[in-house]
Amino acid sequence: MELLRPESAEAASAALGNGSVALAGGTELVPLLRDGIVRAEKLVELRDVVPRGFDGTRIGAGTTLAELEVDPQIPQALREACSLAASPQLRSMSTLGGNLLQATRCWYWRLNFPCYLHGGDVCHAKAGQHREHAIFGSDRCASAHPSDPAAALLALGARLHTTARELPLSELYRLPTDDNRDVTALEPGELILELDVPQPEASVYLKAMERRKWSFALVGVAAARFADGVRLALAGVAPVPWALSSPDALEQATPLPGTAYKVDIARALIRRAVEAVGAPRSA
Amino acid sequence: MRVELTVNGERREADAWAGESLLYVLRERLGLPGSKNACEQGECGSCSVLLDGRLVCACLVLAAQADGHELVTVEGLGEEAGLHPVQEAFAETGAVQCGFCTPGFVVATADLLARNPRPSDDEIREALSGNLCRCTGYAKIFDAVRLAAGS
Ligand SMILES: Cc1cc2nc3c(=O)[nH]c(=O)nc-3n(C[C@H](O)[C@H](O)[C@H](O)COP(=O)(O)OP(=O)(O)OC[C@H]3O[C@@H](n4cnc5c(N)ncnc54)[C@H](O)[C@@H]3O)c2cc1C
Ligand code: SF4
Ligand code: FES
Ligand code: FES
Repeated sequence: MELLRPESAEAASAALGNGSVALAGGTELVPLLRDGIVRAEKLVELRDVVPRGFDGTRIGAGTTLAELEVDPQIPQALREACSLAASPQLRSMSTLGGNLLQATRCWYWRLNFPCYLHGGDVCHAKAGQHREHAIFGSDRCASAHPSDPAAALLALGARLHTTARELPLSELYRLPTDDNRDVTALEPGELILELDVPQPEASVYLKAMERRKWSFALVGVAAARFADGVRLALAGVAPVPWALSSPDALEQATPLPGTAYKVDIARALIRRAVEAVGAPRSA
Repeated sequence: MRVELTVNGERREADAWAGESLLYVLRERLGLPGSKNACEQGECGSCSVLLDGRLVCACLVLAAQADGHELVTVEGLGEEAGLHPVQEAFAETGAVQCGFCTPGFVVATADLLARNPRPSDDEIREALSGNLCRCTGYAKIFDAVRLAAGS
């Protein structure tokens, strides 16, 4: 294996594919490489080519969670989502771009079971252990998207700037289908460069965990109030970050036997989050 | 590939494969086994080191990523002449049983106290949340941090 240090985002993008994989902080990629789930002949280091830091409402995808969690310019929901993610050691390396693209924590997937998401025919979790899994969108793969910042950014209505285009964060994600098992819609070689994150009137991120610190979300709820209403998005409930059109939309959840409890948690967190940001004036 | 690091103030070089972790290079190539290898998944913090002054898990950083950068490991905290105050406090309060987690806790505590010399219990809990101990039940580790903060 070889490490490339391209001089521009365009050069990095051109170097990708054909066994070359992008490396940001490495907190996700390094263990996947070690466990043989991702194979790479070359790693393309993004550190010097993907923007880092923030300017007004624009955030570089190379900014670390540790930098985001302490900055008062950053909307509260995103700050809280970052500070509640992982541990201090991980947040100091983890970039926002890498966080949005992290893979599922489903143990079957991480242990390389030939499951649906890995291209197989069955979801092992549905018949087996699935306490941490989905309550929405689980027709095929029942994994739960682990990113806290993604839920916050979805509620905030963030837009991405990539090396190829501009798109709303909601369009970065897709549910896996029989002919394409990816959960993101990035093209080969496409890099996330920056995010535009609108300033809400108020926002909050609440996270239910197995313990108070340092744990993936059982359910995470982001709420952001804008002049035209409150937007909600959830982590840990579907194979992709999940936007809810209203608190009542939760009642359309289709939990598995082992995840029904998540609906109750989500209901309680949504109520608290909506109270915290203040109900929309029209309600 | 050849990796050049400043480790505990000293220039060091090592030949490493590009996929090797910083933890592996420290322990197996540079003779610094103080940082421990327990989970290799970023979950336990026993491999905690300071990379350019920031606390990281050495098991999740590639040595190649650290090329040209500055590191402090647990070996860099004390001196021949005497222990670092945090090490002193861990020994004094008996915050060590099997000791496997201790180097990581010592580095994380030294980092916390350098930034925040008088942390509250909540700040201690937050700063050490990435370090797991399977033996002590944490009470004596809290005592050690409070003692080091007072000294
Ligand atoms: C033990 C543990 C606990 C964790 N707990 C949480 C948690 O509670 N909540 C949470 O949200 N997250 C959690 N995480 C995930 C962590 O936040 C991510 O691993 C991290 O954010 C990934 O960022 P990175 O810069 O290290 O990415 P890398 O590991 O470098 O990259 C991850 C992936 O993204 C790709 N990539 C990176 N940057 C870009 C870019 N700019 N454009 C295109 N592709 C890119 C890489 O090719 C790779 O596929 C945890 C991780 C671990 C290991
Ligand atoms: S939940 Fe998804 S990742 Fe987990 S076993 Fe089922 S198909 Fe695979
Ligand atoms: S060995 Fe690095 S975190 Fe456990
Ligand atoms: S003393 Fe044994 S793990 Fe902490």
